Amino acid sequence: MDSTKLMKLREESGIKILEIKTDLSSYAASDLRKVLEDLLAEKVEKIVVNLSQVSHINSTAVGALVGVAKRLRQNGGDLKICALADNLTRTFNLIGASSVVEIYESENSALAAF
Amino acid sequence: MANADIKLKIPSAVFYIDPVRAFIGNLAKNLGFSRKRVADIQLVIDEICSNAVHHGSIDTTVGVKLQIRSDAHALEILVRDTGSRHKGPKNWLTHERLSEIEANRSPSNEGGHGIFIAKSLSDTYEMKINAAGGTDVRVVFQLLKPADTKP
Repeated sequence: MDSTKLMKLREESGIKILEIKTDLSSYAASDLRKVLEDLLAEKVEKIVVNLSQVSHINSTAVGALVGVAKRLRQNGGDLKICALADNLTRTFNLIGASSVVEIYESENSALAAF
Repeated sequence: MANADIKLKIPSAVFYIDPVRAFIGNLAKNLGFSRKRVADIQLVIDEICSNAVHHGSIDTTVGVKLQIRSDAHALEILVRDTGSRHKGPKNWLTHERLSEIEANRSPSNEGGHGIFIAKSLSDTYEMKINAAGGTDVRVVFQLLKPADTKP
C-alpha cells in the first residue's frame, strides 16, 4: 500500500499543511520523507505537519521531520508540528527532538507561530 | 493464562513490520500491560525490526526471525537477523560500531536513535552476534510493575 495517499496536503496563507492519516512506522516513514523531499524540491519554505491522527511514530519518521526542519531553516523557512498524542510527545522528548523541532498543541497555534 | 512461546519469520522488508507491531501490541494489551506501556513496547519492536531489516539482512529473502515468550510476569522478545556481510566483513553492530553510534547520538541527527530508544524503554536489553553472523536483540518487559496497572 502506498501510504502517501494517507498524507493530505493543503495550503493556508502560503503555508503548506501536511495532515498525516496513518501511523508513522518504518514503512510509512520512507513515504513521509519522500513527500517532504518533494515539498523541498518545490521550494516550499513553510510547512506545518499535523499529527492529530497518528498514534505511532518511530525514530526514522522523527528523523525525517528533524532533517527537513533544519534544511528549511537554512533558507529562512521552518517546519512545525502539531497535535501530538501523549505517546508521540514522549517519543519526541526521549530522542530530544522536541528541542530541535517546534511543537504546538493545535494546527492554528502552529500556523500563528510563522 | 498459559505461557506462550511464539515463533515468527517475516521477509526482511519494512512492509512486514507493521503487522508484527500490531500483533505484539495486542498480545501485550491482553497480557495486562498499560496503554502507555503497550505503546512503548510497539515502538521498541518497530525500532529493533527496522534495524534488523535495514542493517542485518543481505536482501528481503533472508528474513527476520522473532521469538516471543510470555508468562504471568513478563513479555520477552528476541529479534534475530542473519547479518549483511556484503556491506563489510564485520557484523553491523560490533562493539566498536555500537560505541560510535552511542557516542555520536544527538537530538539533531536524523538517525541513530533506535538502539537508544530500545534500551531506554525496555526493562532488559541485550545484543549479541549470533552463529549466523547476524545480530540477536533480546528485550524484556516486566509486567508486574505499579505503572502497568490498567488502564
